[in-house]
This record gives sequence, C-alpha cells and structure tokens, in this order.
Amino acid sequence: MGVTCVSQMPVAEGKSVQQTVELLTRELEMLGAEKQGTFCVDDETYHTAASTLGSQGQAGKLMYVMHNSEYPLSCFALFENGPCLVADTNFDVLMVKLKGFFQSAKASKIETRGTRYQYYDFLVKVGTVTMGPSARGISVEGEYGPSVVASDCWSLLLEFLQSFLGSNTPGAPTVFGNRHDAVYSPADTMLQYMGLFNKIRRQQQGPVAGIR
Amino acid sequence: MEAPPVTMMPVTGGTINMMEYLLQGSVLDHSLESLIHRLRGLCDNMEPETFVDHEMVFLLKGQQASPFVLRARRSLDRAGAPWHLRYLGQPEMGDKNRHALVRNCVDIATSENLTDFLMEMGFRMDHEFVARGHLFRKGIMKIVVYKIFRILVPGNTDNTEALSLSYLVELSVVAPAGQDMVSDDMRNFAEQLKPLVHLEKIDPKRLM
Repeated sequence: MGVTCVSQMPVAEGKSVQQTVELLTRELEMLGAEKQGTFCVDDETYHTAASTLGSQGQAGKLMYVMHNSEYPLSCFALFENGPCLVADTNFDVLMVKLKGFFQSAKASKIETRGTRYQYYDFLVKVGTVTMGPSARGISVEGEYGPSVVASDCWSLLLEFLQSFLGSNTPGAPTVFGNRHDAVYSPADTMLQYMGLFNKIRRQQQGPVAGIR
Repeated sequence: MEAPPVTMMPVTGGTINMMEYLLQGSVLDHSLESLIHRLRGLCDNMEPETFVDHEMVFLLKGQQASPFVLRARRSLDRAGAPWHLRYLGQPEMGDKNRHALVRNCVDIATSENLTDFLMEMGFRMDHEFVARGHLFRKGIMKIVVYKIFRILVPGNTDNTEALSLSYLVELSVVAPAGQDMVSDDMRNFAEQLKPLVHLEKIDPKRLM
C-alpha cells in the first residue's frame, strides 16, 4: 500500500469506453508493464430511512459502503465530508441488520472493474466504471508502492502517470491537501474513488452509456 | 426495530449467522483469588491474561419502539488494537431445556474513528463503563472475570469508581446458529466451577 492517485480518463474522441480502455492498456504494455490479475472497487449508497429523520431533526445523510479487492477482508464506510470508517467484512452483515434505519439505494450501486498492471514499483489499475448494465467511464489508479508520504513522491508519481496518460494526467488529488507529511492510508484511496464515482453519477446519463 | 428473528438456519443471504451462547454469575471480591486459581487449572494453558477495556453503548432511536443498540469497545492497555463493534440481538426464546442464553451476534473490528462515525450515522451514546479483569479460554469457550467501573466524568477513563464489591463472571461461546450441543458443553464446564460460582442463564428482560 503506497501513495495512490485515482483519476478519470475521458473517453477518446469517436471511440467507445472499451476501445479507450484497450488503447490505454496497450500503452501500458508497450511501456513494459506486466498484467497481474484483475481488480474491483464497488460502492453502494445508503440513506437514512424516513422513520429516523423526524426524531433526529436533520436532513437525510448519504452513507457510502465500499469494497476494494486490494483489501479483500475490509469494508470502508464513508460519509461525504465526514469520517471514513475502515472495518472488516462483517460490517456488511451489520448493514443488513440496520435495514430499518438505513435503506440501500440499489439503483445507484456503482463499480469499476479492470486489470492490474505492475511496472517495477508502480501499480496501475485501469477499470471500466459501470452502473448497472451501462459503462459510464474509465478510472485510472496509479500507486507508488514504496512510499506512504504523499509530499515525498507526488512528483515521481505524476511523471510516471504522464508517460502513459499524456495530456489526461490529473492534478494532485485533494486528499493530499494540507497534510503534506501525513501518512497515506487506504481510506484516502477510497475517498478518491468516492469522489470519482460521485462525479460520474452526476454526469448526465447520455452519450457514454452502453458498451459498444 | 430489531432485525427479523434468526432461525435455526445458519446461513442467510450468503453470510453465516453467528450466535452468542452465554452463562453468567458473580463472585464477591474476596473469592476472586480462589476462582482464578480454579480457572487456571481447568482452562487452556496460557499466560494469565488481564485486560482493561472501555465500552460505550450507542443507541439509534427510530420510530420503532425499541432503539437499535450497538456496543463499541476499545482496549485501554493494548495500544494499536482495533476497536470492537458488537451487535447483540434479542435472546432466542425457544427451548426451555437450552442451558445457555442464545442471541444473534455480529462482531466487527474497526478503525479508531468509530465513535465519530457512529455519531454521524445518528447514534447517540447511552452509557459507558470500564471493565477490568481476567480472560481465560477453554477450546472455543471464553471465560471472563471482570469488575465494572463507573466513569465519573464522561470521557475520562482515569477517574472511575467500582460499581459493586463483586466480579462478574461470564462464560460465552460464539458459534454458527444451530449448534446447540455447545450449551451442553458449557453447562458441563459450569458444573466444575461450583460451588465457587454459579453460572446460569440470566434473562435480561426479567431484570428490567
């Protein structure tokens, strides 16, 4: 687990989601990266049930429960702008027990699936973001394994990302923010994915839908 | 609203329902040493293990009559240990011949920001206490002998006072649903602790 940057790759002009993913993976293979299995990150939304709202006197909050195949025994629960809880997979069982208080918005379950590529100390994951049957975008995750301090290795990670993303290279993730010397943790990666998924959810359901 | 009653089926929706089987008793302070001595002889050979835990009980009130209860526990003497979140269901009312109290249980290990997260979910802390005692194991059975301390100033775990002049003794097993022979093993073990301590099935509802 090292410093990670998650970003969205725009779909290439005149190409489908699948074709853009193929272009990217070909770039990575030409660079010399080795395919190392697959990955999956998923996100389910829960909102406070109407019955609990009255007594609390607060607007319904959205809670995201996420899983990452990189950490198979963990479950991440987050509130937007709130704390991120890292728990074990029994948390999913607890959410079933809490059915009466937290309802799952099944339609907004979103996930990204794709291939993992290892290039020396870097790990790159290119995934197709899907919501239900339709492909909504492309996620690219780049990780520099040896370092856990963002400020120490951001420029190195950026340079590496530029070598295959070109002009689509992202800026520094907001999670790096003010805590330059803070230790990076998997919860920060999940926060970045949550941000990405929310952005994709808000994008109009239009041209990008459907895997051609 | 509590979750729907857990039946004898161990697996529901792909996850195994775990049940906690429980027997409880107590001993006065002056009898503690003899009980510990007996337990050390009967239980698995291991370094005597003591613990100091801080437990907070959170409630989520909804429109339903009974609030949802979650227990958050952290170790005060082991730095770096994860926090422990526990859900305990209603005791199964079933077989009167069953020797132990049986209830559905979900145990989750979490990161340290558990209390902030629970508050964000809408839970409010109902009460908290410090538990200090000894832990023993025999196979899958766990025997805990501990004293409960009341926290005088909320959040300050250094300033505590003992709740009573006795120690609570609990014999528990967490096993998949449907394994009732577990309660027979527990009763047999409890027999060996008599007359130092009488462990029995105590229905929490009858105390309220």
